[in-house]
Formats: sequence, structure tokens, C-alpha cells
Amino acid sequence: MTVNPSTQTSKISVRPSKRFPTIERLKEGWTIYKENLIGKIGLTLLVIFALMAVCSFFPPLIDPMYHPMTGVDPQISHSTGPSWRHWLGTDFIGRDILCQLLAGARIAFMVGISAAFMSIFLGTIIGMIAGYAGKIADTLLMRLADMIMVMPTLLVVLILSSLFGQLNIWTIVLLIALFRWPGVSRVIRAQTLSLKERPFIEAAKVTGASHFRIIFRHIMPNVLPLSLLYMTFRVTSAIIIEAALAFLGFGDPSTVSWGMMLQWVWKTGHMFQAPYWLLPPGICISLLTLSFYMLGRAMEEVLDPRLRKEVAQE
Amino acid sequence: MEVRKFILKRFIEIFIIFFVILTILFLLFRLAPGDPVTRMVDPTLTPEDAQHLIAQLGLDQPMGLQYLYYIKNFFTGNFGNSFHYGVTVFSIIWSRLPNTIILFTTSILLSAFVGIFLGKIASWQKGTKTDTWMTLGALACHTLFLPWLAMLMIWIFGFKIGWFPLNGMISPEIWMDPSSGLWLKILDVIHHMVLPLATLFSIHFGSYLLLMRSSMLDTLKEDYILTARAKGLEEKTIRNKHAAPNAALPVVTSVGISLAFSLSGGALTETVFSWPGIGRELVFAVSNSDYPLAQGSFLLIAIVVLTANLVVDVLYAYLDPRIKY
Amino acid sequence: MALLTVENLSVGYHTRKGFLKSVQGVSFALDKGESLGLVGESGCGKTTIGMSLMGLLPENAAVTDGRILFEDTDLLKLSKKEIRQVRWKKIAMIFQAAMNALNPVHRVGEQIAEAILAHDADISEEAALKQVESLFEVVGIPPERMRDYPHQYSGGMKQRAIIAMALSCHPSLIIADEPTTALDVIVQDQILNAIKDFQNKLNISLIFISHDIAVVADVCDSIGIMFAGQLVEYGNVKDVFDVPMHPYTRSLLASYLTLDKDIVQLDSKPGETPDLVNPTPGCRFSERCTVSEAACSLNTPEWVEISPTHKALCNQFK
Repeated sequence: MTVNPSTQTSKISVRPSKRFPTIERLKEGWTIYKENLIGKIGLTLLVIFALMAVCSFFPPLIDPMYHPMTGVDPQISHSTGPSWRHWLGTDFIGRDILCQLLAGARIAFMVGISAAFMSIFLGTIIGMIAGYAGKIADTLLMRLADMIMVMPTLLVVLILSSLFGQLNIWTIVLLIALFRWPGVSRVIRAQTLSLKERPFIEAAKVTGASHFRIIFRHIMPNVLPLSLLYMTFRVTSAIIIEAALAFLGFGDPSTVSWGMMLQWVWKTGHMFQAPYWLLPPGICISLLTLSFYMLGRAMEEVLDPRLRKEVAQE
Repeated sequence: MEVRKFILKRFIEIFIIFFVILTILFLLFRLAPGDPVTRMVDPTLTPEDAQHLIAQLGLDQPMGLQYLYYIKNFFTGNFGNSFHYGVTVFSIIWSRLPNTIILFTTSILLSAFVGIFLGKIASWQKGTKTDTWMTLGALACHTLFLPWLAMLMIWIFGFKIGWFPLNGMISPEIWMDPSSGLWLKILDVIHHMVLPLATLFSIHFGSYLLLMRSSMLDTLKEDYILTARAKGLEEKTIRNKHAAPNAALPVVTSVGISLAFSLSGGALTETVFSWPGIGRELVFAVSNSDYPLAQGSFLLIAIVVLTANLVVDVLYAYLDPRIKY
Repeated sequence: MALLTVENLSVGYHTRKGFLKSVQGVSFALDKGESLGLVGESGCGKTTIGMSLMGLLPENAAVTDGRILFEDTDLLKLSKKEIRQVRWKKIAMIFQAAMNALNPVHRVGEQIAEAILAHDADISEEAALKQVESLFEVVGIPPERMRDYPHQYSGGMKQRAIIAMALSCHPSLIIADEPTTALDVIVQDQILNAIKDFQNKLNISLIFISHDIAVVADVCDSIGIMFAGQLVEYGNVKDVFDVPMHPYTRSLLASYLTLDKDIVQLDSKPGETPDLVNPTPGCRFSERCTVSEAACSLNTPEWVEISPTHKALCNQFK
């Protein structure tokens, strides 16, 4: 049958693999990734932020006044602009802003990656079970997913914090994960459904593999690339939600996150007078989100062949 | 006929979801740590008033009966009294609802239309500088942190340049002045709405742009586009009449999916701009431990989100003939 | 004077792996009212030829050689605007029904009327729709289905609608690209009869592209067998079927099981699809050919005329 050269069949490339991705595929993926400008910029930015996070440990060691939460400069007790002593200035009680910024990077990575990881974990398992088991389990799980997806995560966490008092950072991470898994599970479920019909699954069943084994040994490796892809987008939403919560005043008071910094600027009325304090945290949140997003887009190109520049023709 | 059945089915589904949310909220408020009574009854009331309220809300009854009281109260619009404001929760949230609807609906419509339009253009300028700038711009705007962008807007356009008011929805001077005409009042609201709208718009149009762009690129590969070209139609006609209507469909769906996100953003915007909407009311209520108000605001927000979802579904059903027929 | 003359057409595609020479040195001619079948396996280039005639090649395609003379004009030299005027009015295309050839959000009748309106500045919308009605009668679709959407049509109906659309501007040439693939045999038969019918009645030239040689034999006057981008045998259908010369043609014909003959052993060697980025200078079929010699893969094959209406590209018949 002829294939019209102006049309293309398109499917996400998922080849049944007996092992986890070999070095060959990683190398091929890396070559494609490298060609993508967006991916390169994203990765560069991420590395910069990671360095920031790592560096956050050093300033308090140099001088206790550089501690983001408790560091008090004996000479300064109000907000000042950038100086040699404090490269980005100080906040309203004299704490160093740059140190807060570095600590915020650490928190952002921690929250982002843990929450994303947890929601991917939950979402993948639920998606696989729903897709594989079908019928009642599928309907129930997907209805649950629908309900959770409909509600604005931020506002739900707000209401929960009103009932349970001040939340600590790990509770926040857990709550974010609990409300972000539905998006992942839908995609994984769809992928599982299409994989379920493939001959190699039939073969596994015929040789007597238990359901458990089929799910984890055969379906999961093929579904993982998709999970990882969505993880990057989950990281962005986790960072934003935590920042928004902190901004509104419902974050963990013992952690310094960028959202918390913005809350301080706002609540202490320094919004108009302290650009050195207002700008850095916001820029950081936005750029970190952007870089994860870019990473995700570039990874999409690696995983989904039809997005690539090449066009195979007959 | 099919459409009506579809709408009815969706309506029932949404109603069920709402009921589940209502029930979960009921359980949460009763089972969370601490004495549930303090959450329903204003601690500043006198003991007799408190006792009266407890009886009215059925708090001294077993759980099952309490649930029935709860449902009954909900459907009769009785959410209790706000601890903070002292008046009925219903009156507060009812007065806030239109403000949120105005801002929310306008921002979604504006972002969607402009985003779709620009996405369409970006797709056929694919590979050129225009496209790259548009895509990067959309991406950059989309990832800006909303409350921060809001603060920047207020600082630059409100404080430094002084074109727009710093907060609120209305200028009391105009609204209190009996000689102000309707037009003046409307203009005043619009004047206050510009910055919050600009903030919401900036954050949201990007995702519609990117989605429409990729949807167009996908659609342009479809066979019926080849047919249209073979028929000898102009490129412009092909893009606008054949590709765009098909490409726009997934974008409409995505409006529905992103409604929750938009509403969170709406709440943040209202808070920073002191726009008197439900989102801001929820935030305040939670900060002040005003439980009845928090519960009432949340429920109303849930209703708004679910209704908006329903509207989008219905719209989609009208737009896609494959569902209609 | 032939309606269409294709001279030495060569088309290729720029791909990541190199320049794919999809069609090389193909020449044929078509008179008014004549029908030609292009037969070959997937990837042999027959659809590319169809696309070149319509000017619908994708962006990464390039015509490296040759001319396409249609009514004395070289189609390859026309501007975009001029090609648009030729399309549909002079040369129309029938796509596979299985393809998503009709726009899902427009009504079928409107889509056909659109073609009419695009090429006739004076006609009104109602008049165009009236024409669509009579077209529907010609192809056998109840006129009240005009207002339906494509997803409400069955496969056979969609194919008829596509035929109606092709006929709408009264073209001189119609290119049918696998119009009966993916239809069941009964519907296939109906469609083929419909095509033969309008071809005879309206004296339209037809190029019928297919991988199914039996179908082509039923409908066409002449036949061209294609392999790996080249035309390997060309002539009257009767001549080619009675005395197939090229080994590929012979194996194509032999691969059909017929009711009235004994089962013949399939007559070919296994092989891979030929490399079109760096094709061999010799005969491209030599690897799979059962009568090839060592020289075949080195020497360029030449045309051998068996009769004025029948020729084959093979060195074995010199």
C-alpha cells in the first residue's frame, strides 16, 4: 500500500524492551537532545540553579550573620540595598538576601523533585493498574482522578491547612503529590491500554506470568520514559504551588523559600522601595520553572519521534 | 438530541462530583484534630447563643443526623455566620461572586482568543524569527510567577507611572457620589481591572498559543489538508477555513483542563490586587480561622469550577460535529 | 497530440539519511480519454509521480530532472498561482477513502461545492450546491446526504463522495491513488464500475495508481510497472498480460492465485528493498531476479521494444 508522502503515521516510540534502555539508546537520545537549542538553554540554567543550591551551604559557614533564617547583621537591622557586605542587600530585619536566595534554590529543588517523584510514582502505579485491570478498578480510579483534577490544588491545600494548622514542608510536598498524580495516571493508563494488546504481553501471559510480574517486568519499563517526561512538568507545578502557598503565608515558617521571601517583601510593605529584594526571588522562581519546562520540551522531542526535524520519506 | 443527552449526562456527573466534595468537606471539618464545635460556632458568642446555634446546626446529634442537617443547610443557603464579619456567610460570598466572575471570565476569554490567534500565526511562520520570538515569549510569560508579576505590574504601572490604581475594584469616591452615571462606574471598574487582567492574561495566553501552534502543525499534516490543496484553494483559505477550526478543538478541551489552574491563579491575583472576589475571601478566611466563611467560599469556588467545566464541555459538543451527530 | 507527456521525470526527497531518489527517469504519455495504470509495490515511487503531476510534493522534495507537459505547458515551470488554477479544474485527484480525505468539521456537500466555487467566479452558492446534487446522482449517493458530515458516511460512500468531488470541475485528467484499497470486495467492484463508467461517458483521461495489478487490468488501457523508482515495463494492458517480459512483471502476475490454472511456484528470490539513496548503476531488480546474471547488477539496463505498444527495461532481452 502506498503511503502518501505528505502524511505521516505518528506514535510515541515505545519499543518493547527486555532490558532497561541500553547505552545505544541513551547515546542516540543525547545526540538529538544536543541539537535542540531549548534543551541546551534549559539544562544550562538548571546547572546554574543546582550550583546555587549547593553553594547555599557555604555562606553561614563563613559568618553566622549570613544564615538565611537566623543570621542577623549586628550593624544592620533594616532593609538596605546591595553592598559589598551583602551583595543583594538585606531584608527588613537585616538578613542577607543572597543567602536566602541560595537557600531558596535548595528548597525549590527539594520540594520540586520530591513532590514530582512522589506524584509520578503514585500516578504511574495507579495508571498501570487502571489500564491493566480495566472494568471496575479502572472506572473507579479514573473517576477519582477526574475529581482530583477538577479541583484547584492550591485552594484545596489552603483549606486543608486551615484545618490542620501550620504545615511543615514535607506535609506540603505530600499534599502536592496527592493532588498532582491524576494527570500522569491518565497518560500512563492510555499507554498501558495500548501495550496490553501487544503480542509480547500475550506471550508473557501464555507462559504463565502472574499479573504482578507482567505489570512490573513488562509494562513498567515501557511506560517509564513517559513517566520521566511528565516528571519535569510536575516539578514545575510543585515549585509554583509551594511558592504560592508560601507567598500567601501558609508555607513552612522554618524554611526559607523564594515564595516566603516574596511574602516578606509584600507583607512588610517594601514592595515599592526594595527592587533588590523584590526582583531576585521572582526571577529565580520564573527561571527555574522555565528551565524545567525547556528540559521537558526537549525531552519530548527525544521521546516522540514525530516532533523531530527529520522527515522520513518513501 | 444527542447534544442534550450529552449535556444531561455531564450535568449529572458534575453534580455527583460536587456531592462527593461536599461530603468530604463535611468529614474533614468534623474529623480534623481539635474540637469541631469551635469550627462551627463563633467562640465569641454568649453561651446561650452558642447553644442555640449548636442545636440549629445539629452539632449535638450523632454523625449521620449531622450529615443530613449539613446537606439541608447547604441547600437552603445556610452556611452559618462568618466569625470575622459577623454576617451570614451566604451574603458575603454572594456579593463576592460577581466580582470573581467578571475577572475570571474576561481573562480566560481574552487569553484563549488571543492565544489561539497568535498560535495560528506562529504555526504558519514556523521556523522564522517571528515564530521563535513568539514561542519563547509565550513560554517565558507562562512561567512567570503570578504573584510576583502582579507585584511588578502594580509597582511599575501603578506606583511609578501612575496610570492605574494600586488595588481594589472600585474607587469609593466615584461610587459614593450620587451624580456618577452608570458609564462612569463601569469605566471605573474597567480601569481597576486592567492590571489584574493583564497579569492573568500574560500568564495564560502562552499556553494557548503553544498548544494552538502545535495543534495547527499537526492538523496541517492531515489528509484533508492535502485534499484542500489539491482542490486548488489558496493557502490562506486552507489555514483559516480548513486547518484552524480543527486545530482549535484540542485547545478548547485544554481550557477545561486548565480551569483549576486558572482559578488558583485568580485567587492569587485577587489577593495581591485586593480585588474583592471569592478567592481572596477564601485566603482571608483561612488566615483568620474563619471556618464557616472558609468552607462557604471553598464550596462556591468548587461550584464555579464545575460549572465552568460544564460550560466548556457543552461548547465543545457544539463545535465538534462528531459529537453532535 | 497527447494530453499528457511525462519526459524523463526524476524526483527525490531530502532526508536525514541522504537524498532519496524516489523516481528516476520515468517517461510516459497519455492521450485524451486514455487510462493508464501505474503498478508497483510500496515505495516504488508511483504516488510520488501522482503528487508531482498535481504539484503537491512536500517541502523536502525536489524535482531533479524532466518535464511534465500537460496541454503543451510544462507544469513544473508554473508559478504557485498558476498551478492552483490547473489543480482540480484540469487535473483532479481521487484519494483513498481510508484516508482522512474529507474535513471532519465541514459538511460533505459544502466541501464539494467549495471546489466548484473556487474555480468558477461567476457561479452562486445555490447553483454550486445544485451541481453537487447532480454529481451525487451520478455517483449514486442519495442527495439528502449532502448535509451530512464525513464521519456519518460509510467507507464506500466516502469513496463515492471523493469521486464526485474529483468530477466537480470537469477535469481532463483524473489521478486515482489507490481508490479501492481498504474497501471490501463488493464495494470495490462497485467503485471500479463507477470509475469505468464516468471515464467512458465523460471521456476523461485516468491515471490509476495501485499495488493491485488485477484491479488495474480491469480498468486501464495501458499499464506501467514500476520498481524502485523506475518504470520497468510499459505497454497495452493486453500485451503486457499476455506476454510479460520483465522478470518483475512476471513474478507480479505469477503471485496471483487464479481459479483456472494450476498453482505455480512463486517465482522470485527474497531480497531487501533497494537502497534509493545510493542506487546501483546496474539493474535495481537484479538482486531479486531469478534470471539475472552477474552483468545485470553492473550494467545499466536499456529499453527493449517488443512491439510499438510494449517495451521493457531489461538487458536479458537484447
